[in-house]
Amino acid sequence: MSYAYLFKYIIIGDTGVGKSCLLLQFTDKRFQPVHDLTIGVEFGARMINIDGKQIKLQIWDTAGQESFRSITRSYYRGAAGALLVYDITRRDTFNHLTTWLEDARQHSSSNMVIMLIGNKSDLEARRDVKKEEGEAFAREHGLIFMETSAKTAANVEEAFINTAKEIYQKIQEGVFDINNEANGIKLGPQHNTVNPAQPSGDRGQQGGQGCC
Amino acid sequence: MAFLQWRRFNFFDKEVVKYPDSTEIFAKLKDIDITASASGRGQVTLGDSEGNLLFLDRNLELDGFKAYELRVTHIHQLKQHNIIFTIGQDEAGTNPVIKVWNLDKRDKSNNPSCSRITRALPGSNATANVTAIAVSENLNMMAIGFQDGAVTLFKGDVTRDRHSKSPKVVHKGRMQVTGLAFRHTQRSNVLFISTENAVIACHIGAKDVRTETLDNHGCSSHCAVISDTTQDNQFVIGRNDAVYFYQPDGRGPCLAFEGRKTILHWFRGYLVVVTKDSKTIPRQIAGEGMSRMMDTVTVYDIQNKFIAYSAPVPEVLDIIQEWGSLYVLGGDRKLYQLQEKDTQTKLEMLFKKNLYVMAINLAKSQHYDYDGLIDIFTQYGDHLYSKGDHDGAIAQYKKTIGRLEPSYVIRKFLDAQRIHNLTAYLQELHKQSIANEDHTTLLLNCYTKLKDTNKLDEFIMTKDKDVDFDVETAMKVCRQAGYFKHALFLAEKHMQHDWYLKVQLEDIKDYQKALNYITTLEFNEAMDNIKKYGKILMTEVPKEATDFLKVLCTDYKPADRPLVDPSTLSGGMPPPIQRASVEEFIHIFVNNSAQLMEFLEHMIKVQTESSSQIYNTLLELYLHDMAHETEKRPRLELERKAMALLQTGETRYDIDQALVLCQMHSFQKGILYLYEKAQLYQQILHFHMEHDSYDQIIEDCKRYGNQDPNLWVQALSYFAAKEENCKPYIVEVLSQIDRRNLLPPLLVIQTLAHNSTATLSVIKDYIVRRLQQENDQIADDERLIKQYREETKKMKSQIEEMKTSAKMFQVSKCSVCNHPLELPSVHFLCQHSYHQHCFESYAENEQECPACLPENRKVLDIIKAQEQSKDLHEQFHRQLEKSQDGFSVVADYFGRGVFNKVTLLTDSFSSPSKSVTPVQRSQPSQPSRPPPPSAQQVRSAAAPPRPTPSAMSAAPRPQGGVSTQQPVKTKVTRAPTASMPSSRQQALPQRPSTPPTKRTPPPSQQPPPTRSMPPPTQATASRPIRTADPPKRVQTPAQQSQARSTPPTKEYNPFDEPSEPVKPASQQGRGTAAPVAPARRSYSGVKGSGQDAQPGRGSPSSTGGQQAAPRRPPTPPNPFGEETSSDGKNPFGEETSSDGKNPFGEETSSAGKNPFGDDIDEDDKNNPFFN
Repeated sequence: MSYAYLFKYIIIGDTGVGKSCLLLQFTDKRFQPVHDLTIGVEFGARMINIDGKQIKLQIWDTAGQESFRSITRSYYRGAAGALLVYDITRRDTFNHLTTWLEDARQHSSSNMVIMLIGNKSDLEARRDVKKEEGEAFAREHGLIFMETSAKTAANVEEAFINTAKEIYQKIQEGVFDINNEANGIKLGPQHNTVNPAQPSGDRGQQGGQGCC
Repeated sequence: MAFLQWRRFNFFDKEVVKYPDSTEIFAKLKDIDITASASGRGQVTLGDSEGNLLFLDRNLELDGFKAYELRVTHIHQLKQHNIIFTIGQDEAGTNPVIKVWNLDKRDKSNNPSCSRITRALPGSNATANVTAIAVSENLNMMAIGFQDGAVTLFKGDVTRDRHSKSPKVVHKGRMQVTGLAFRHTQRSNVLFISTENAVIACHIGAKDVRTETLDNHGCSSHCAVISDTTQDNQFVIGRNDAVYFYQPDGRGPCLAFEGRKTILHWFRGYLVVVTKDSKTIPRQIAGEGMSRMMDTVTVYDIQNKFIAYSAPVPEVLDIIQEWGSLYVLGGDRKLYQLQEKDTQTKLEMLFKKNLYVMAINLAKSQHYDYDGLIDIFTQYGDHLYSKGDHDGAIAQYKKTIGRLEPSYVIRKFLDAQRIHNLTAYLQELHKQSIANEDHTTLLLNCYTKLKDTNKLDEFIMTKDKDVDFDVETAMKVCRQAGYFKHALFLAEKHMQHDWYLKVQLEDIKDYQKALNYITTLEFNEAMDNIKKYGKILMTEVPKEATDFLKVLCTDYKPADRPLVDPSTLSGGMPPPIQRASVEEFIHIFVNNSAQLMEFLEHMIKVQTESSSQIYNTLLELYLHDMAHETEKRPRLELERKAMALLQTGETRYDIDQALVLCQMHSFQKGILYLYEKAQLYQQILHFHMEHDSYDQIIEDCKRYGNQDPNLWVQALSYFAAKEENCKPYIVEVLSQIDRRNLLPPLLVIQTLAHNSTATLSVIKDYIVRRLQQENDQIADDERLIKQYREETKKMKSQIEEMKTSAKMFQVSKCSVCNHPLELPSVHFLCQHSYHQHCFESYAENEQECPACLPENRKVLDIIKAQEQSKDLHEQFHRQLEKSQDGFSVVADYFGRGVFNKVTLLTDSFSSPSKSVTPVQRSQPSQPSRPPPPSAQQVRSAAAPPRPTPSAMSAAPRPQGGVSTQQPVKTKVTRAPTASMPSSRQQALPQRPSTPPTKRTPPPSQQPPPTRSMPPPTQATASRPIRTADPPKRVQTPAQQSQARSTPPTKEYNPFDEPSEPVKPASQQGRGTAAPVAPARRSYSGVKGSGQDAQPGRGSPSSTGGQQAAPRRPPTPPNPFGEETSSDGKNPFGEETSSDGKNPFGEETSSAGKNPFGDDIDEDDKNNPFFN
């Protein structure tokens, strides 16, 4: 499958908040109630379409365990977007958001788009973190916010796609340097023919050309 | 820590390899310093530090040869070719040598042949340590990694020295190369290089090589391996913190397997990792005196994310895969076999731990067969069910659909009352179209139980959905559960008209809709259904149902069809008009006669050719209503309608049935109309009689008397039976009877005699008139008789004269030429004379007078014809049957001499001629020519007798024809005969003009009587047959003849029509010449005695008598006359003289209708003919 852009995502958050389930739901459209612990970093990909452009999402699903933090950190780099996930039924996962955010900001490029996701919205009865709190947190840190349910698939697509839109918009605005893969953005094969002509040192404002 | 690992299983069995068929541990490797190893193609290749290559085969036989002078450092075995690449040293401190061995080719010493020997760094003697080698399977690339961080790439045919280009350094690093691997895809060839501090991808193009650093972390030696396709051919690097996967374009996932890795090996989807467990203390190994460091061998199932095996092995030297197993070469020089368990065992282990999801994944990844998977799903489902996770269980059970018997699942959930889950399962069943009726029923029942109308809607009402369930069952269930709407929907959608109507009518009771629905159906369906449900519809929506039926029975088209068929517009044939027959729907209107009436009226109006049943039914309706209608006006209206129907219905209705109906409902008008229509005048009469409406009776008689005169007779007997005073009617009736001559007076009197009220005055006139007529008749007849007698007498005297006296021929002119007669001449007794030459030229034969010949011949012919036909009994009977007046026929036959013996005429011809001859002779002497005269004489002699017989025997001709013929022959006789006819003609002027052969006409007056009483005619017709049989009884025929001749006059005339007493006689005479003439004679003969019977018959029989003895002078009172006279008691006589005893009287009294009928038996002897 040819694509115009490849965006790298990373999903981070405390263990058990449903990161792998979000990924599984997004890539395979299924929900696995029994899911093993993620050991290290897993990987998923899916094509989406934004403004008529095929975009490949390459998603890194990281282990939430503290002990794997060192491994996962290495994956922050080169991610264009991050889904920061917490569990609305567990306040501690919400409380850890700051740490996660710091981590992400520290190890990733500054332009990384971060989407705050309150997962398990299907378990309304056991809700521990109000939606407003999530919204407030997102506002405070300049994040996009959404509540999802990997089980019912509510908002899962939107979470990934909205992130991609945000990234795409930034590309259009020229915020991202699409030629620097460290940003987590890669041009598709058809663009490769164009890009070699571009001076490699030329930075900025090239997103517009990339899509032309 | 424990929970930061994957689940751990024991899917491999570890065994120390032993010699085959023994328990001794394999120990051949004990003394070998193994430096390198490889495996493939059924054997394990080992290299040792002395430069030997050793081959270990399946039977653990070790074989080898010396390949290098010093040592072997690397061995690479190709998978697809039996070729081994080795790197070793022949000289210390020099460039290592690459040797390529073809194991299929052996040299003289039975060692593999070496196809290439190359220095690792050609053209350089620099010391270099090779640390890694990789050869692409297609044999055109080989990469060598060196300790100094350089990687050289050989391209071309790497198995040979020639053709292969000089190597090219593709990477130059500072750290030791630890691993090399080729990854071939269709587009590109990638060489993965791992060094101690980097992972690099080398994209090898056709011309250039592009390197890309994937990661800035490397790995130690032996810790890099290329995975197989299950993991997308990623390059796997083992580092202390984790195992990393790399793709040509970047880093992939990582698995956090901690530990210091020494060896990574890829084995059939498993990643085998050997780690040095730093924490564990060296352990003492049993049986061996020395302690060793223990390594941990862990087998990871990357795809399914679990640890398939993990166990400590002392100082792992290498991992070898061969013979379907994994072998671990331990530092103790023992070979440990890791035998993978079979899938079933593995699954069972998983089941034990209730790890069904894993089991399923495992089974799938091992391409386990479908049935096996189903088993797993089932077990999983059972497990979840037992745990109480019904939702989960049903999810699993859903996957088993198609294999697992649904009832198994259904029962489980039915018992548990888990209807929601059950519903889900059933839905799935339906989705997969393997649901049977019961499932449908169950599912719908579930819906209805759950009151889940939405689901039900979805299930049933989804329009475009293909039906995956049994429609009929669904409808049934919906009906039962009261979801009529759904049932209706289904029925409509699936054209189950019957169901639709059932539901609509029986459950919803929306009759109007049901009817509307029917109107949209095709003709046949509409018809069937209206038949079925018509009654209900009729009781509920009578008006509409009737309207529909009207349409159905005229020109039906489904209501939703356009009025004009498009196909007809485009020129196609118009569809035939479909209409149902009305009769079939009548029963629908059982309790709704008003509608039925309307319906039928409509139908009759539209289709006048409707069947009789319709008319009948409608009539019945009218009548029935009429009978129950108390109000006068509607009653009249109905009556009017009924009459209109009767009158306009032409003959469509069944008259009999209509009559029955009218009678049942005593609809008099109708009854009368129908009687009239059916020409049942008698019934009309009876009807009125029953109602004693005298005027009506008279009216009827007047109206229908012409068609059926018998009515009058019946009227008479009716009035006669009435005790009341109804003289005027009787008078009226009598006058009619009299006028039409319907009944013999005797009967009339007898009839009236029963009535006490009928006084003489009533019939006085009638009787007087009758008697008067009789008298007139008798007088007339007597006059005729007398006349005939006289004539006869005259004839006889003439004959006598001719016999006895001479004849004078005084004619002076020739009858031919009218010139004065000259000799020779021919004379005939008929007073014609001829010149001989005239005679000769005119006469056809010499014996007959040419002038008289035609007349004579005519007579002769007639006689002959009658003679011939007299024996034709069949014809006789036929005539008799056909004839209206049997008497006249019989009389006619008498006239022809039926009862005469043999052929009288011929006799009369021959015998008279002879006898006469002498007489003639004397006369013909006068004519000049003797011979002819003789002949003539004979003729003339013959002639005279003939007139008599002809006159007497066959009365008919004498009267008409004879009058002219007879004179022809004899001049003598001529005069008298001529006079006779004339006299007769005066008496009966018309007679001569009519040919004698006609005998039917006279009855013109008589038919009425016979007609009015058919039985009598038959009786008379049959009578003669019987009586005719004994013709030999002379007496009887005679009597018969009497009876016969007279009856016409006697019987009928007197009684019947007094107004024209003569006429019938004359007509009779005219028509049946035979009977009449004799009749006259008989009259004359009988005259005096007052009994006219015998003489009439006398004529035929007397002729016989006379002819038989012609000479005998006829005695005036002929034998018959005597007979008759002696027979004085002839019934006729009695009749007239004493009425009371008259057989007729008895007859009439005994059998009113048939005055002639019954007396036959009694009176046979006396008067058979009368009957």
